[in-house]
Amino acid sequence: MKKAISIMAACCFVIPALASETRLEIVHTGIDAQTVTRGVDAMMADCHSCHSMKYIKYRDLITLGANKLKVDEWRGDQPLDAPLMAQMSAVDAEQAFGKAPPDLSLMTKARTGGANYVYSYLLGYYTTPDGKAANHFYPGTRMPDILGMSQATGDAQRTDIKTRARDIVSFLNWASDPHEQERHKLGYYVIAYLLVLTALLYLVKKQVWAKLK
Amino acid sequence: MGNEAINDGNRRNFLIQLTSVVGGVGVAATCVPFVASMNPSSDVLAKAETEVDLAHIPPGGMHTIAWQGKPVFILHRTPEQIKESEASNGVLDPEADQKRVQKPEWLVVIGVCTHMGCVPNKEGPGWTCHCHGSQYDDSGRVTQGPAPKNLEVPPYRFVSENKLVIGQA
Amino acid sequence: MPQRIIKWIDQRFPLTSFVKHELTGYPTPRNLSYWWNFGFLAGFVLMLQVATGIFLAMHYKADVALSFDSIQHIMRDVNYGWLLRYMHATGASAFFFVIYIHMARTLYYGSYRAPRELLWWTGQGLLLLLMATAFMGYLLPWGQMSFWGATVITNLFRATPFIGDMVVIWLRGDYTVGDATLTRFFALHYLFPFLIIGAVIVHLVALHTVKSSNPSGINLADKDNIPFHPYFTTKDLYGLGLFLILYSVFVFFLPDTLIEAANNIPANPMQTPNHIVPEWYFLPFYAILRSVPNMVGGVVAMGLSVLIFAFMPYLDRSRIPGGAHYRPMFRVLFYAFAVDMAVLGYIGYVPPTGSSIVMGQVATLIYFTLFLLLPFLSRFEDKWLIKRGLPPELEALIASEEQEKNKRSKR
Repeated sequence: MKKAISIMAACCFVIPALASETRLEIVHTGIDAQTVTRGVDAMMADCHSCHSMKYIKYRDLITLGANKLKVDEWRGDQPLDAPLMAQMSAVDAEQAFGKAPPDLSLMTKARTGGANYVYSYLLGYYTTPDGKAANHFYPGTRMPDILGMSQATGDAQRTDIKTRARDIVSFLNWASDPHEQERHKLGYYVIAYLLVLTALLYLVKKQVWAKLK
Repeated sequence: MGNEAINDGNRRNFLIQLTSVVGGVGVAATCVPFVASMNPSSDVLAKAETEVDLAHIPPGGMHTIAWQGKPVFILHRTPEQIKESEASNGVLDPEADQKRVQKPEWLVVIGVCTHMGCVPNKEGPGWTCHCHGSQYDDSGRVTQGPAPKNLEVPPYRFVSENKLVIGQA
Repeated sequence: MPQRIIKWIDQRFPLTSFVKHELTGYPTPRNLSYWWNFGFLAGFVLMLQVATGIFLAMHYKADVALSFDSIQHIMRDVNYGWLLRYMHATGASAFFFVIYIHMARTLYYGSYRAPRELLWWTGQGLLLLLMATAFMGYLLPWGQMSFWGATVITNLFRATPFIGDMVVIWLRGDYTVGDATLTRFFALHYLFPFLIIGAVIVHLVALHTVKSSNPSGINLADKDNIPFHPYFTTKDLYGLGLFLILYSVFVFFLPDTLIEAANNIPANPMQTPNHIVPEWYFLPFYAILRSVPNMVGGVVAMGLSVLIFAFMPYLDRSRIPGGAHYRPMFRVLFYAFAVDMAVLGYIGYVPPTGSSIVMGQVATLIYFTLFLLLPFLSRFEDKWLIKRGLPPELEALIASEEQEKNKRSKR
């Protein structure tokens, strides 16, 4: 019986390893306010014209630590409770790109590989021999190389682009799971409590059963 | 678990009591998220403030807006209405008019009858509640029962000459 | 005062005697191992799912236009909504994890054997109800995997003779999985747990009639039974603590490992994801479905792969008591079965390619062969064991239990 379980457990580890086809770049997303608010700036500048984030409201950006004046500029005459809709209408976007750009609220959860995938994708642009931009991770993508990785010359510029991509992904990561930090914090308390309780229950069980002998 | 059958010896007794207390605390703490989930969610709480543009309410006119889902009456009072309101001190629930307004020309009250929660109608001077016949004057003070109290004044502030924010975040 | 209240009740309802006979004083074999903890854990997870489910239903909206948004509302706006939802989603996996171990224990120790056939069959019924409930619950978030999973599974009913297409449309209430399907799945997903609770009561009544099995496979005499309380209450609670630690690790730190990425994309009836997979607990059965090249054959094979467990009491014809504990050949069969399940699970997960299809077909064949081998193997095994002589401790145990029983009957 124990053997069977260890075999099953081994399979659980093997499966994800076999499932990944292209090697993704690993990104360690930031959870500090600085990185995430830089990510908000970058997202509003680079992505927001075409992509919506309908589960995020302007009010959330302020709560997150974005500059209130900037948020007021972004939202124009929309109320604070308005969701971040794309500047371009879905119809226009469909005409321009052939299909509406996806909503980004859940992007880092909605792709296999999560934040690593989005990061790798943003940086995965290269120039084909016939001079077009293409992507290693999403062949046939209709999104232009917005961060300019395929045109980048020199390491300094590439590092800048990578930082920007990391900022964006950090923000997207927060947006897809706003309660993550709260969840982890609560998780440590809960598990610490359960360890104490289980130890006590073990002692109770041991004492009760000691009577049998 | 705190059963007499296993209570032999003080040490065992103590261990079982301790475990019961620790376990009980855990069960109680587990109830917190369940109970809390029934409280208003954050998007409902975000509606705690409502902005009102006063520019288009003429003197003598009344505007009803929703604040936290409740009707709020905003009455632009004429000099005569102000004079009349300031002259009396209310009937059933005496209160000075000055205490009920920030600017005499603007009366802001929650439009919920203090009797059973119906919405009174603006009729003649003041309001009449058609559910049970309570009447209020132009300061929102009850003049005829069965309502026991004056119409409630919500928290509000003027952010500019013609802009009012009801509620406090 | 409490004494008087209890007395008042006891004159009108057998409260004290019920608690004494069925709960605290219920005679339980003293040699049960920790593998016997999983029935209690299954009951606990059921209660957890009902509690979190009811609170989630207060915020969920069963409407194709609103359901995906309402889940996001729960995850983002509702106080501790994220916790309730992750508890419920993780709880579904935990339920199957616990039930599969519970079943594996039953198979390993031969607990399905006479006189426990009805106990085993009510358990089978519970497994089917659990599968149906989990499947319908999975549609509710209205993500891509929800939609296409429900599409594929409802399409299985096309295998119904003559009226297959009509049955599928009737199940969906629409030509595709749509608003009618979502709303009825929600209604039934709320109803089924209460049917499960009812079936659990039947399961427990059956258990208390035939009493718990034990690792030796022999029904123990009174001297080897101990009251359920305090011995097994404390043991079950200790096991519960261990279970909750594992469960919390998933709820708080790894909740999304159990949710397919594609289910974070709203359902799109116009586009199927490249790689659709069911939840992990359905993978072996899904692999069997895919391994049979014929549609009807696949559906029948999959149905049979679940229902075949019900025949276990008749397939196992051994005269040696119990399961794998004293029966080396049966033990080999059990481990072969476990490995085959794992292989099928893996095949169910990977996209069907040439080699994985062949592997799946071989594993499917082995799956059914193992069951069909059992009657012959169990007969052969007990002849071989009796000729070789039973292990002395088993002989001694049988003798002492017999003696005890004779003594009692003489009295």
